[in-house]
Amino acid sequence: MLKLDHLTATVGEEDEAKTILNGLSLDVPAGEVHAIMGPNGAGKSTLSYVLTGRDGYEVTDGSATLEGADLLDMDPEERAAKGLFLSFQYPVEVPGVPVMTFVRTAMNAQRKLRGEDEISAPDFIKKSRELGAKLNLTADMLKRPLNVGFSGGEKKRLEIFQMMMLEPRFAILDETDSGLDIDALRTVADGVNALRSPERGMLVITHYQRLLDHIKPDKVHVLANGKIIKTGGPELALRLEEEGYDGVLGEAA
Amino acid sequence: MTVSIDALKDKFRNPGSAELELIARYAMLPENGQRERAFEAFAETGLPHRRMEAWKWTDFKAALKQVEASKHAADTASLAASGQAVIEFTPEGVSLPKNVPAGIKLHERSDAQALGDAEEVPLGAMTAALSGRVGGLDTLIIEVNEPTTEPLHIVTRGDRGETNFARVAVVVRPGARLDLIESHLGGAGFSSFLIEVGMQEAGSVRRTVLQRGQADEAQAITAVVSLGDKSQYSQTALAFGAKVARLETRLRHQESGSHATLNGAYLCADGYHADFTSHVRHGAPSSITRQVTKGAVLDGGTGVFQGKFHVPRTIGQHTDADMQHQALLLEDGAEVFAKPELEIYADDVECAHGNTSGALDPNQLFYMRQRGIPEAEARALLTEAFIAEALEDASEGVHDVLLDAARRFLADTVR
Repeated sequence: MLKLDHLTATVGEEDEAKTILNGLSLDVPAGEVHAIMGPNGAGKSTLSYVLTGRDGYEVTDGSATLEGADLLDMDPEERAAKGLFLSFQYPVEVPGVPVMTFVRTAMNAQRKLRGEDEISAPDFIKKSRELGAKLNLTADMLKRPLNVGFSGGEKKRLEIFQMMMLEPRFAILDETDSGLDIDALRTVADGVNALRSPERGMLVITHYQRLLDHIKPDKVHVLANGKIIKTGGPELALRLEEEGYDGVLGEAA
Repeated sequence: MTVSIDALKDKFRNPGSAELELIARYAMLPENGQRERAFEAFAETGLPHRRMEAWKWTDFKAALKQVEASKHAADTASLAASGQAVIEFTPEGVSLPKNVPAGIKLHERSDAQALGDAEEVPLGAMTAALSGRVGGLDTLIIEVNEPTTEPLHIVTRGDRGETNFARVAVVVRPGARLDLIESHLGGAGFSSFLIEVGMQEAGSVRRTVLQRGQADEAQAITAVVSLGDKSQYSQTALAFGAKVARLETRLRHQESGSHATLNGAYLCADGYHADFTSHVRHGAPSSITRQVTKGAVLDGGTGVFQGKFHVPRTIGQHTDADMQHQALLLEDGAEVFAKPELEIYADDVECAHGNTSGALDPNQLFYMRQRGIPEAEARALLTEAFIAEALEDASEGVHDVLLDAARRFLADTVR
């Protein structure tokens, strides 16, 4: 479903350009959840930004496709309409735009880009109430400006709320566990697990094994120096937890 | 006439053809001491221009080479809903509502009145001198005797005329309240509206203003406001500009415990210029002023903010005043000029001001685009959210209408 082939990307201008992704290849089939783990500076967040089309990164080699469509050729909003969703490591505050207004605008914009009809107001409200309840987000919170004055954990729950509302084909969760206490972690994981389906793929980027107790990955990849250096099952995450990156990476080298 | 037209021409020094036309109009009006005083005050400066410090960014003299009819009718809708009381000024005259809200009286005066200090503002003086019509209304006085809740509308509409000048005086009796909503729709080559508001003890006025004009028109909206003991004044304006448009407010806290809010938002497209200028004098102790002005400007548009708080020694003690101006430059080529000033001589006051201008936050834009919102739509939504704060205190019945007008403008212009 998501296919990355020898993806190479730099950040920074001309002489200052620094290679962050260095020939990264990865294949996440529909229906699977893959985890990417790696030490600081391995290129985890860069990978999520390159795939979603943030300015400031230049792809110098390789390819990235979602269901055969070339992601790198599309604007960020087109990638979103194609079904690519990023749960941000640091969700952005948008003063003056209430959560509900924002999500409805996003949902209808995606539908428009796909040539579909807008969601009706009653359907939208019903869906947002149901999903808000699942994520312990009150109606009052959904009326507040997006992410403004929300705690770290609330922001992450709001990311998952948006994901559940938008029902993407492929989701990237970038350190969704950071800033979450145990209860919030479980709530978020329940939301993510509810979206697991044979038609949907996910990439879970994390530092720690903790999140993977709740969101069981089909495969675990270790990212270091801009490429995947080791791939295994869930047990690889446990080994990383015990032996550290140095131990596992030493073996790979 | 005690002052001859030739003497006036001398006084103007080097009058342009627009000023000559204004002198000719003055000559046609009935002789009147107040009118003469006002016109002489105007003659001191003539049409204000860039070599005057207070007008360095908004040059009416350059914009008004001639007094010419506008090529556009003011066909924009006013803020008035059907059934509401509307006072409408056009080049042909004034039309008054059949049903004025209870507690309000309208008085038509056919001679120029001596009110306030409008003469300190060149275009205020000009309007005071020229708002008269031969054999007709010169000044409309709105006397508010009770705490009214029903809004009263004023509409100015140029009907493709050369000029549309109007003058209104509002007298708010003790404890009385007025909800005044103004729609200044342009449509004349040169529109100028002067409003003088005098508020007595515990009087209250909420003034909501919409300004729209065309790129070939000059428009001035001048307010002179005097606040009495414990009175409250709240002003909210949304301006789209014109070739030049100036919304100027001179506000005086005259007695203690008064409260003023002066909010405004400007949205300027290519070829449009909007200027918010204000001068607030805390001439009495323990008065409060809150001012928020927000603007967003596109390539080829110009926004101007000039704000001044003046707190004299001894009489201005315990003043509490805050002035904020924030502008968004939406594109390269957008221009915003700002001059916030605090002039404080009293020693026990709380006065603050802030002034920023910049572009939209790229992190916010990327976040919104990642959710599927196209860039232009994301920019428009962020801009609307940005200016909305300045419109929060608008009269409830028209608050959403103002926001809709801003939203439509942004949807049409932001790329």
